[in-house]
Amino acid sequence: MRLTLQMLISHGRVARKMGMGPQSRINMLRNILTGLVRHERIETTLARADEVRFYAEKLVDYAKKGDTDEKAMKMASFWLTEKDLIPKLFKVLAPRFETQSKDYTRIARLPNRQNLDRAKMAVLEYKGNPFPPLYPVKKENELTLINQLLKGYREERAQQLAAKNLLTLS
Amino acid sequence: MAACVSVLDKCMFSLRLLRNLQLQNERLLSTSVCRPAPGNNSEQPPKFTPPSKPVIIDKTQTAASLRQFLSPEFIPPRQRTDPFKFSIERKDMIRRRKVLNIPEFYVGSILAVTMADPNANGKTNRFVGICIQRGGKGLGATFVLRNIIDNQGVEICYELYSPRIQKIEVLKLEKRLDDNLMYLRDALPEYSTVDPDMKPVPFSPTGEVPVNKMKVKMRPKPWSKRWERPKFNIQGIRFDLSLTPEQMEHAQKWAQPWQEYDMLKEYDTSKLEEQLLSEVQQEMSK
Repeated sequence: MRLTLQMLISHGRVARKMGMGPQSRINMLRNILTGLVRHERIETTLARADEVRFYAEKLVDYAKKGDTDEKAMKMASFWLTEKDLIPKLFKVLAPRFETQSKDYTRIARLPNRQNLDRAKMAVLEYKGNPFPPLYPVKKENELTLINQLLKGYREERAQQLAAKNLLTLS
Repeated sequence: MAACVSVLDKCMFSLRLLRNLQLQNERLLSTSVCRPAPGNNSEQPPKFTPPSKPVIIDKTQTAASLRQFLSPEFIPPRQRTDPFKFSIERKDMIRRRKVLNIPEFYVGSILAVTMADPNANGKTNRFVGICIQRGGKGLGATFVLRNIIDNQGVEICYELYSPRIQKIEVLKLEKRLDDNLMYLRDALPEYSTVDPDMKPVPFSPTGEVPVNKMKVKMRPKPWSKRWERPKFNIQGIRFDLSLTPEQMEHAQKWAQPWQEYDMLKEYDTSKLEEQLLSEVQQEMSK
């Protein structure tokens, strides 16, 4: 084999090496992507989640083209190993992200795996999933003094505006 | 030409005779005959004004029907460099194109290039060959021409925007089944020979470029590269004449069928191409 400098230098290479070669890498990513489409929130290592994120978003872009498009159907049938998820992709996920043009997924880091390898773990999810949010939204306590005063102020302002609108209308 | 002129002369002569006969017969109806006024005889005869040359407006070829071609070196590669670098490079490329006409050509077309050479007589040398590869982007774009001269295969790699190049002529515009004809090195020499004194074959600036679906016969193996392997994806070789079906199957072991589904490797240039095409055409028409 010709030992080129390109083989030693990896400037600009975007795809990580995973598994036992390029075929194994694609198969692994396929499996993770199928799991993501089925459960909409999965937990893997950070590197795998990062790789799958790109493919997940591109798959949604293809799904947006519609299931009559043959290229989109070929891509979907290749990437989703469980074929009952293909209609879910086209009928549930594609309409959900119709208004957005990018950023369909979210990654959040988890504590490292408790095994010997202490691998960095992450949660990868599609936005708009039915589960409770990853970062719980902190609700401000409405019963504090300042919040009650502000609430009263807002109500007064709203009343004044309504009165003004009635005057201008009549 | 001489024949029809004399025929015309005879016609004119006979017409004049007839006219004179008419005049003599119709002396009384001189008002009906159109004659120059008698007062003009003292002046010089009216100066012969030739009829205005007909202006040929070729309306068959509208701008919309002309083939839109964006040279591949204008399309920037997928890199992390600033787009500003590509835009200033494009400006320089257009400046050069305004001086030297770089025609539209594809891999498989036959070109003739005259280049400045201090050591040649007449200071220029001309090379005719078939284009086997177009590489590089931006100002360093190159193309390789191949020809066989005196039983010796010669390949010359020219830079499109080199100041040494004085003229590029397309003798025959055509496409082939592949983008890279490097396998012509291992093909029989008849497929790479181009007559240096070839006359340019006329081609129309509208419509599709003709695709030459020729399949090339190869010399016996070993070849410089294993062209049967799927990574080269060559359509233009007659493999059935040089390889057995078992060898073809064995070559398929190197196939990577997942590559066509790998979305990371896709580079969609359609929008970029449209934008660049309009930009280049605008700049060139200035």
